[in-house]
Amino acid sequence: MSGADRERLFLENAAKAAAGTCSVRGTGDLPDALGRIVAMDSPVYCPGVTELEKAAAPLFPVRAADYADAAVTVEEVFGAIAETGTIVCVSAGGRAVQAGLLPAHHVAIVRRERIFGTLDDLFAAVSGAPPTNITLVTGPSRTADIELTLAIGVHGPEKLDIILV
Amino acid sequence: MSPEQTSLAFRENSVRALEDAALRAAMKQAADTFGTKRADAFAPVADLEALRDRASDIREEVLANLTMYVDRFVASATHAGAVVHRANDAAAARELIRKILADRGARRIVKGKSMVSEEVDLNSHLEAAGMEVVETDLGEYIIQMEGETPSHIIVPAIHKNRRQVGKLFADRLGVPYSDDPQVLTKIARKALREKFLTADAGISGANFAAADTGSLVLLTNEGNGRMVTTVPPLHVAILSIEKMLPSLTDLPAFLRLLPRSATGQTITSYVSVITGPRKAGDATGAKELHIVLLDNGRTEINAGESRGILKCIRCGACMNVCPVYRTVGGHAYGWTYPGPMGMILTTLLTGMAKSHPLVDASTVCGACVEVCPVRVPLVDLILELRRRKVREGFSDPKEKRGMALFGKAAASPLLFALGQRLAGLLWPVVRSMGGKDVAGRMPAPAKTPLRRKLP
Repeated sequence: MSGADRERLFLENAAKAAAGTCSVRGTGDLPDALGRIVAMDSPVYCPGVTELEKAAAPLFPVRAADYADAAVTVEEVFGAIAETGTIVCVSAGGRAVQAGLLPAHHVAIVRRERIFGTLDDLFAAVSGAPPTNITLVTGPSRTADIELTLAIGVHGPEKLDIILV
Repeated sequence: MSPEQTSLAFRENSVRALEDAALRAAMKQAADTFGTKRADAFAPVADLEALRDRASDIREEVLANLTMYVDRFVASATHAGAVVHRANDAAAARELIRKILADRGARRIVKGKSMVSEEVDLNSHLEAAGMEVVETDLGEYIIQMEGETPSHIIVPAIHKNRRQVGKLFADRLGVPYSDDPQVLTKIARKALREKFLTADAGISGANFAAADTGSLVLLTNEGNGRMVTTVPPLHVAILSIEKMLPSLTDLPAFLRLLPRSATGQTITSYVSVITGPRKAGDATGAKELHIVLLDNGRTEINAGESRGILKCIRCGACMNVCPVYRTVGGHAYGWTYPGPMGMILTTLLTGMAKSHPLVDASTVCGACVEVCPVRVPLVDLILELRRRKVREGFSDPKEKRGMALFGKAAASPLLFALGQRLAGLLWPVVRSMGGKDVAGRMPAPAKTPLRRKLP
């Protein structure tokens, strides 16, 4: 699978799983994309650790110091999987994986060269020495426990947006 | 609640279920929905049969060398910093977990969905020790509030309709009545969020365990599994020994099969791979991770002729297509696991003496075998248990005499024709005597027998 194929397939499958998706050319386009996605009057948690996060963090007027108090988490994630439209969050490097769980809105930034083709590609890459936590996230939190009727936003985010850079 | 096993009353339970109109309606809707979703999810999968073969091979490899893989898992998980405990039976598992929690002063416990914890009846044991145990999967939350047990291994409250849930929430939580699943879901989110943030410990099950890395794998949709395993300072996982996979790299095959078979999803919203507790430099994970590996008779099953049932990955597809399950629902089976996989596992885990009517709970139509993603030979296993039931003297003597009589009649065309004639003539009498029992519900014999219509 070529890089372009992986990107196309990933965006297609992520959208099928009810994630919002957008694709930007570079870091310079990030503020515009975030401005369209994030409600700027709500408290945003952004770790501000990676280069992309450093570019994003100053955009938010209300910063939450702790993800538990945030309405939105904006973060760069480890990677993505084209086969399933999944984003991959890992605990390596002191990342709090649950930061993308507690707030109602999760905005994940992924570098396009970090898209794995298949589930096998991902696990081949991480299974040598897996970090404490690897979480695959596909779409928002959901349930069908009442009459098998889909309901969105149970305990995790009700909204997942993915920005491909 | 403490579930008393009622498998011996399978027939009585079934008759009661048939009279419950709300249950029948819920089961019918579920069956239709599941069938369509599953078929749609598998449609785009190329080489599905090869994928099933591969998954089946991996499961068989694990069972052929179960002790080795369990030992390997214990070593890897311990190396990753987890504390691994072995529990020989349900009582040992319950007590181990109570002690782990009590020793750390845990009072409030949040729980993710775990059928193994239902199997060992964990909640009532912890509650008796004064702990607050909160089920956080929406379906489990509903049935815990109602004081019921799960009636499906994936969708525990499948037997309830939205109006029943709405009324339950209004009565117990003091919220305005609504029968909108989205509104009810939000109510549960709000009520349970506080529990997550203030819990002393989380208890989860696991869908798989990777022997090479010591990782636990959990597939969830709601996010409660992630909460339970990462927010409280202590995480206790309970799983049965056959959940092993040789390697974490074997996982993709099962990630492709399990969600599609279970709910018709390409993949669940969340897949968590947890390897040990929080380590130096980590900002994720419980500070302490305890893993309880339950045997509860599985080593013995694995050594016998019913080993195949241990291949099961608990997707629930077999019950969704089973004509018996679809008619009577899960509670009729009278123990933790219902449907085709459940009737087999229940008989093996609790013993023929406590469950023998269950081995009749099948038409052996084979629909379950057709959908099983890991090729568990369900019909063969059921037939084997039926032979065992006869061998061990649990079959009904009336059934034995009836079968002997039928055997004689069927061997003689003259007698058989006479029997057919008599059945037709005597039917009104049989029907009035049968009442609500089996004979009363049977269709009347055809005016012209099939064998006379055939050339």
